[in-house]
Amino acid sequence: MTESAGSTATDTRIGLATEGLTKRYGGVTAVDGASVQFHHGKVNALIGPNGSGKTTFFNCVTGMIKPDSGRATYLGDDITGKASHRIARAGIGRSFQLCRIFPRMTVMENMLVAVRSTSLRHVLAPSRSAGELDRARELLARVGIDHLENSEARDISYGQQKLLELAGVLMADPETIMLDEPAGGVNPALIDRIASLVRDLNAEGKTFLIVEHNMELVMSLSDHVVVFDRGRQICEGPPSVVQNDPRVLEAYLGI
Amino acid sequence: MRNASDPTSDSTSDPTSDSTSDPTSDPTVRTDAGSRGRAVLLAKGIGLLVLAAAVLSFPSLAPDAFILSVGVVIMSYAVLATSWNFVGGFTGYISLGHAAYSGLGAYATALLVIHTSLNPWVAMLLGGLLVAALAVPIGIASLRVRGASFVIVSIAMVLILLLVFQSWGEVTGGSNGLRVPRPFDESVLRPEQHERFFYLHVALLAVALLTWWAIDRSRFGTGLKAIREDEDKAQSLGVPTFNYKLVAFIVSAFFTALGGGMYALWFGFLDPIFQFSILVGSYMVLMSLLGGIRSLFGPLLGAVIVGYAVEFFKNQYGDTQFHLVAMGLLLGIVVLFMPDGIIPALSSLINRFSPQAASIREVSAGELAEQRRAAASEGKDLDATEAEPTDSLPEGAKR
Repeated sequence: MTESAGSTATDTRIGLATEGLTKRYGGVTAVDGASVQFHHGKVNALIGPNGSGKTTFFNCVTGMIKPDSGRATYLGDDITGKASHRIARAGIGRSFQLCRIFPRMTVMENMLVAVRSTSLRHVLAPSRSAGELDRARELLARVGIDHLENSEARDISYGQQKLLELAGVLMADPETIMLDEPAGGVNPALIDRIASLVRDLNAEGKTFLIVEHNMELVMSLSDHVVVFDRGRQICEGPPSVVQNDPRVLEAYLGI
Repeated sequence: MRNASDPTSDSTSDPTSDSTSDPTSDPTVRTDAGSRGRAVLLAKGIGLLVLAAAVLSFPSLAPDAFILSVGVVIMSYAVLATSWNFVGGFTGYISLGHAAYSGLGAYATALLVIHTSLNPWVAMLLGGLLVAALAVPIGIASLRVRGASFVIVSIAMVLILLLVFQSWGEVTGGSNGLRVPRPFDESVLRPEQHERFFYLHVALLAVALLTWWAIDRSRFGTGLKAIREDEDKAQSLGVPTFNYKLVAFIVSAFFTALGGGMYALWFGFLDPIFQFSILVGSYMVLMSLLGGIRSLFGPLLGAVIVGYAVEFFKNQYGDTQFHLVAMGLLLGIVVLFMPDGIIPALSSLINRFSPQAASIREVSAGELAEQRRAAASEGKDLDATEAEPTDSLPEGAKR
C-alpha cells in the first residue's frame, strides 16, 4: 500500500464510515444522523463552520463518547460504542483539538505510553527496552524534536507539543490517523512541516482524517473532503469540486 | 523529490530548525549524559546502601524499648504509605479510605489465627489474598468515578466497615476489641519482639518497594502514570485504563492488608475505631504527599517524618488533639511550598547546583573548541543535518 497521494480515486476503498450517527446534548443535536464514508489510504478532510459537530463526530467515532444512535464501522467491522482503547488497537490513532500530552512526563516517557498489544509479556516488559527507545527516537527525529527527549513535556513549546502528540500517536503504529485541527495555533513554518509529514506518512500507506479550519491547508493536502453543517454531511468530493459547491458557500458564508 | 519512503533520510532530519538548540552542542550533550548517567547510577547505589544500613542498624542503636517500638510503628506506616502509593502515586486516584484494607487485613489475619490452626504468617498472607479478592468488586465499583467523587467513595467504604465491625460483636469482638495471639513464644521478651517485628516490617517494605520499582519501569507503570496525567488521552493511545487502574488497586489493597496483618500480629489487639479510622488513611496520604508520590522512597521518607512527629506530639501533649493541629499545619506547608513533595524538591535543588544539568548554559571558548573538534570527528552527520531544512521546506511549499 504505497500508492502516492496524488493518484486517481478509481481504487477507492471505504475505511471509516458511519450510518445515521447521532449524538444529542439535551436539546442540542450535535451530530444529527451523519452518514459519511472516508477513503482508506487517502488524506480525508472534514470541514464545516464552527459548531457543525465535527469534533463531536470525531469523539463518537473514536469511542471518547457514546453516540445515541447510528453505526460506525472501520473497514467493515462495527466499532460503534466501543471503548477508545479498543478502537485505538483496531488501528485508529487520534490527536486532540487543543493538543493533549502528558505534561509531567518527559518527552521520551510520553512516547512510551502507547500500547500495541495486551499480552501480559508486552505489558510487563520494561518500557525502556532498547527496541522501543530506538523506535521512539526515530519518530522523534522524524518530527524534529529528538533533541528534547529528556525535557518534561510541559516545558517545551506549544508547537513542539503538537509534534510530540503526533509522534506519540505514531508510536501505536495506527493505520488511520485522525488529527483534530493540526494547524490550530501554530506558526506557518510548522504548518508546512506538519503538512509534509502528513504527505510522507500517507505515501507510506497511512490514512488520514483531518478536521481543519485552514482552508489553504485542507485544499492542498487532501484527496477527499467532507463538509459538515448542523451535524450532518452536506457535500463531499475532491477539493476542487467541494470548493465551488453552492451548499458549502452557503454553509460558510450564509449566502 | 520524494524521499518519504526512505526512513533513514527522515531519521536524520534536523534537530536544529526549531531554534531551541545550536547544532554544536548536540554531541557533547550526549557524552555528558552518558558519564552523568553513570555517576547518577553510582550515587543511587551508594544512597541505597546507606539507607539500608541506616534502617537495619536502627534496632541496635535504639536506646530503649519505647524508641524501638516507635521504630516499628514508623516502619508499619512506611509499609502502608508505600502500599497506598501503588494507587495514589501511579494513577493519581487519591484514596482517603485505605484504612479499610489495612483494617480488613488485620482482622482477617487475627480471625484466621484465632479460629484455625494456621501458622500466623500463612494466616497473614491468606488475609492479604482475601482482601485482594475483595478489592476486585470494590475497585470495579469505585474506580468508575474520578477526582473528588472517588475520594468520597473511599471514605464511605471505611465508614461502612467501621460500623460493621463495631456492630458484629460475636465475630469481631466489637468495641471491646479483639485480642490477637502473638506469633512468638512468651519467652521472647518485649524488646526482642519489637526487634523481630522491626526487621519483619522492613522485609515487607522491601518487597513492596521492589514491586513498586518493577511496575515503575514496566510498560504497565508508564500506562499508570499516563492515567495520572490524562486518563482519556492515555486510553486513546490504546491503554486499557480501567484494567490498569483495577490491577494497581488490587496490588495496593494486597500490600496494605499485609501491612495491617503484620501490625495486628505485633500489636496484639484490634479495635475497630482505630483500625477503620479516617485518620490512618489520611496519614498514608500525608506521608506520601510529603515525601513525594512520584518517588519510590517518597512514602518511606514521609512515614519517617510524620510517624516520628505523631509519636513525638502524642508523647509531649498526651491526649490533647494537638498532634492533629500540627499534622494539619504540616500538610498545609507541604501543599503550599513543596507540592511535589520533599524528594522532587530536593532533587531539583541539587540539579540547580550541578553544572551539567542546566539546559541552557554559557559555553567557554575552550569548551566550544572542544565541541567543534568532537563534532568534526562525526563530520558528515552534522553537515547533513544542516542541509536538511533548506531541503525539506520547499518540498512542503511546492504542492
